Amino acid sequence: MDTLSYLGQGFGVALSPYNLVTALTGTLIGTVVGLLPGLGPINGVALLIPIAFALGLPPESALILLAAVYLGCEYGGRISSILLNIPGEASTVMTTLDGYPMARNGLAGVALSLSAWSSFIGALIATCGMVLFAPLLAKWAIAFGPAEYFVLMVFAIVALGGMAGDKPLKTFIAALIGLFLSAVGIDANSGVYRFTGDSVHLADGIQFVVLVLGLFSISEILLLLEKTHHGHQAVKATGRMLFNLKEAASVFVVNIRCGLLGFVMGVLPGAGATLASAVAYMTEKRMAGEKGNFGKGDPRGLAAPETAIGASCCGALVPMLTLGVPGSGTTAVMIGALTLYNITPGPLLFEQQPDIVWGLIASLFIANIMLVILNIPMIRIFTRILAVPNWALVPVIAIITAIGVYAVHATTFDLFLMVGIGIMGYILRKLDFPLSPILLGFILGGLMEQNLRRALSISNGELGILWSSTISLSVWALTISMLTLPLLRIWRKRSLQRRAMADA
Amino acid sequence: MILQRIFALALLAVCAALAVMAWPYQAAFSYEPVGPRAYPLLMLGLMGLGLLYLVFRPTPIVRKDDEPELDRETLTKISACVGLLIVFASTFEALGFILSSILIGVPMARLYGGRWLHSFIVVACMSLFLYWLFDRVMDVPLPLGLLSVLEN
Repeated sequence: MDTLSYLGQGFGVALSPYNLVTALTGTLIGTVVGLLPGLGPINGVALLIPIAFALGLPPESALILLAAVYLGCEYGGRISSILLNIPGEASTVMTTLDGYPMARNGLAGVALSLSAWSSFIGALIATCGMVLFAPLLAKWAIAFGPAEYFVLMVFAIVALGGMAGDKPLKTFIAALIGLFLSAVGIDANSGVYRFTGDSVHLADGIQFVVLVLGLFSISEILLLLEKTHHGHQAVKATGRMLFNLKEAASVFVVNIRCGLLGFVMGVLPGAGATLASAVAYMTEKRMAGEKGNFGKGDPRGLAAPETAIGASCCGALVPMLTLGVPGSGTTAVMIGALTLYNITPGPLLFEQQPDIVWGLIASLFIANIMLVILNIPMIRIFTRILAVPNWALVPVIAIITAIGVYAVHATTFDLFLMVGIGIMGYILRKLDFPLSPILLGFILGGLMEQNLRRALSISNGELGILWSSTISLSVWALTISMLTLPLLRIWRKRSLQRRAMADA
Repeated sequence: MILQRIFALALLAVCAALAVMAWPYQAAFSYEPVGPRAYPLLMLGLMGLGLLYLVFRPTPIVRKDDEPELDRETLTKISACVGLLIVFASTFEALGFILSSILIGVPMARLYGGRWLHSFIVVACMSLFLYWLFDRVMDVPLPLGLLSVLEN
């Protein structure tokens, strides 16, 4: 029952007027940011870190703000995929499949509110799962020593590649770039300056915000240059804005199923919203069979990915809060924000700062409710934002990005570094490398090195400590199975091809 | 394919250079078995292995429909945009936030197909508004630069 009283305490924190206003502002900003092409949850959260810090928000409010922005961005991405058929980011690709046809059939308002409702249920299921499992996981995680942590991080990186599916090797390379970049700067243990090129500005290492904004905002600006278009004509959202009970009832089972699925996928490191939405959509499509109207505006086809996205977003917070290991690009950014406040996420966070953890969990409930309520009166205004042409948008994005970077250290060196990282990010994107593994690697890198060195200090250089306990052995086993996953997939594909060749 | 090979080779060369750079990293006095050198070398080594594989067996790039081939025109535009960003970074403190963002914002809006007058109005208003919002309301200090004479 401890959990319930903590949750009550969390609601006390989240329901304070100050934090309520913070959550409302966060959801509004997030929705607008998510709507705009070229800005996703990662940029949205990263831009707000220096601002939240400069505003002097207390840590729990800052975290609530960032979480609200995160949810708002996911919601905003949905609007552009339903009304424009342009997915704001990878995870909402599945939403366009049935959301856009629904909007074309004159059900734009219904589609929007139904998707908000689905994602609310998904988030609700995941939040309940979090309330149930996170404290247990946190208790269990205290048994983790440095060696176990190191193995866990190896697992997280490997899982990222194994889950990424079509391009495991590029995912690994991207993650390794991030892992390496985290080593730049002064080494805390020995005081040796590494890879700084005698520059004072790099002594602290590469600033996280600079890396994120360079990789994501600047490269996106350059990508937008390739497809200059002058705003989009959105499908007009007219008629009924709210779904009716019959529609809600028809997708309810889908909601529950996909919510559970999304939560599990969100907790796994590396899987995240993109995979969760794809799996949810495919499963539901198969289950509906011939009777389904999938691809032509079936409400279930809209509800399935949306529920899964909502659930996996909240699920991704579980490994972040309990183990300090981020499960997605956006949670990696949130860990970066926490470290700015000198808070180390991990098992002890639940005991030492319950206000922060439970306040965050409670504010997720509240932010989700706010999003459903905001949807109805604001949708017309939001659709108007979609009509902003690129020429007006891009310079503003560039300027705001520069402010975000400058706010961290107030040096122009960071601005140059941001441009350099942006060019690198653009090249990587053109060559089909995924970018969020770089972020995850960057966040995990420092922790990984520290834990490895600590573990080997304990054993006096004996490597055996890395596989001496049952926990580490089982995590190694998981890692190896993850490594073989892409190989198995390739092998299966080849044997299928061979069979097709034999048939022909 | 060929681009990918070139990129992998270039990154491989960078890895090698960084490894050479990392070689002399040694703690002056040490009380732990793993020095500051091991971890970066391990990462660079693994990255090198992955890149070597990529050199010999590049994975095909899946091209999306809405991404046209890179042509000369786009490349010029991209380099112009990068140039503008660099100008922005170098004039940020000297000219001050407002002036430098107008200086690069207007040409940038032109690059994305805006008209001169429209671009100027939007960018000028936005940079004034953003300065007011961040510097005055949200306490994120931004440089005033040349305009600092106007203050007080």
